[in-house]
Amino acid sequence: MILSYCRHNHSHPDAKAPALEVRDLTAGYAGEERPALKGINLSVPMGASVALVGANGAGKSTLFKAVSGLLPLRCGTVRVFGHHLGECHQRVVYLPQRSEIDWQFPISVLELVLTGRYVYAGWFLRTGRNDERLALEALAQLDAADLAGRQISKLSGGQQQRVLIARALAQNADLLLLDEPLNAVDANTRHTIAQVLDAIKKQGKTVIMATHYFDSQDKRYDGAIYLKDGEQVTDTGSRAGHEGCDHP
Amino acid sequence: MMHFLTDPFHYIFIQRAVAAAVVVGILCACLGTFVVLRRMSLVGHALSHSALPGLVIAYLLGFNILGAAAVATVLAALLIGFLAKDEAVYEDTSIGMIPTVMFALGILLISAGKSYRDLSAMLFGNILGVTAADLNLIMLIAGVSLLALALFYKELKLLCVDPDYAKTIGVPVDLLRYGLLLFLALTVVAGIQAVGTVLTNALLVVPVAAARLLTDRLGVMMLLSCAFAVLAALAGVFASFYLGLSSGASIVLACALIFGGAWLVRKTK
Repeated sequence: MILSYCRHNHSHPDAKAPALEVRDLTAGYAGEERPALKGINLSVPMGASVALVGANGAGKSTLFKAVSGLLPLRCGTVRVFGHHLGECHQRVVYLPQRSEIDWQFPISVLELVLTGRYVYAGWFLRTGRNDERLALEALAQLDAADLAGRQISKLSGGQQQRVLIARALAQNADLLLLDEPLNAVDANTRHTIAQVLDAIKKQGKTVIMATHYFDSQDKRYDGAIYLKDGEQVTDTGSRAGHEGCDHP
Repeated sequence: MMHFLTDPFHYIFIQRAVAAAVVVGILCACLGTFVVLRRMSLVGHALSHSALPGLVIAYLLGFNILGAAAVATVLAALLIGFLAKDEAVYEDTSIGMIPTVMFALGILLISAGKSYRDLSAMLFGNILGVTAADLNLIMLIAGVSLLALALFYKELKLLCVDPDYAKTIGVPVDLLRYGLLLFLALTVVAGIQAVGTVLTNALLVVPVAAARLLTDRLGVMMLLSCAFAVLAALAGVFASFYLGLSSGASIVLACALIFGGAWLVRKTK
């Protein structure tokens, strides 16, 4: 019997609900009175590929953190596949720009990618052979199968990014929140990651990718969400949606 | 040579000391692995100092010494965890503050109680003085702590390597942090009789640090740490028996020698 990490035992997605629905979201960091995000309203349909556009400090990473449960909401609601935040842990994966991973920790690449399967094992159970197979397949998709046995402390920046995306694939999430995954990686890695992202989109998964620049002709995206100074704006930079908490 | 090693075992207090040394060594090494890898090396130091008020109260009121130390260290561990949860209070600030306050409370109690009893065994350890009741408590703490480590090994590993990811998949990371602190507090209590409150942290950290120099595989690191900690603890028992030296100091210096050896091996590789 699997003892899930959350009490909801991982609800299945509601087929009619959007992949992500955010209503009147305000969120901020502890110790800071001013919210980092204010009055965010958005709805991303299942299978869409959306760019989250904004300059540094616009609130892109903060929005991802709020949606993935790393940052408590001050007000508003976040629903993922029709369920409240925290009911669909295995279906959402957040790939941060600057991960808090301890790259000196003494484990191999395969072991790190296998942590993407922990959400399915839950408490007390170890990951099995099937999990290992899926982790190796994910690494192969990123052209990183040869890294499986290598210690994570021996990876370059580009290899680290490949391994983290492989873990996201191993988790088999349906909503991927990617924080500038093509930033600060070499051309080969960028090409491989772009191919993998195309494949993910073809599988019908929903991808929201944070980026500084957005070209409306870019076929990778079905649309864009714009953020500026923690608020939602239109593509021309004017404010969108309504702000503030109904229940501060 | 064999007589040198086997003769002491004719004494029941030596049998108890060796059993305590082996159990405390294994416990400290296993828990110490997570302590070192989570960069919490100073926490063990902090918690061991926090035991002082518990020890003094137990002396003054005639309670069980290790039980009182357990209450004091667990209280300190919970306070450290509680304060560190607030992002405005850095974890190292919390670690630096709580034990100093606890130590000050211990000193205040000593002066207020006008107790002149010798606390050196508690401060610096006396492994040859382990009683049957002490050994039972050490075994109980080790059994529960090692079982918890085995059950939550996968989650603890993830907590060390990527706490944010752990949180996003629903692992209750705060609860795990508290749990780790709780078992660390109990381990410190188990180590007090062997190496004393002041030196317990060395048994938690130094064997693991030595093993870390020799391997980059977690499982091997844990096994090596256990071997080093048990070896050092046994060295302390024999040094104390044959030479009348302080067991705590002997154990810590044996750990340091092992670390020095590991460092040389790494440098000559």
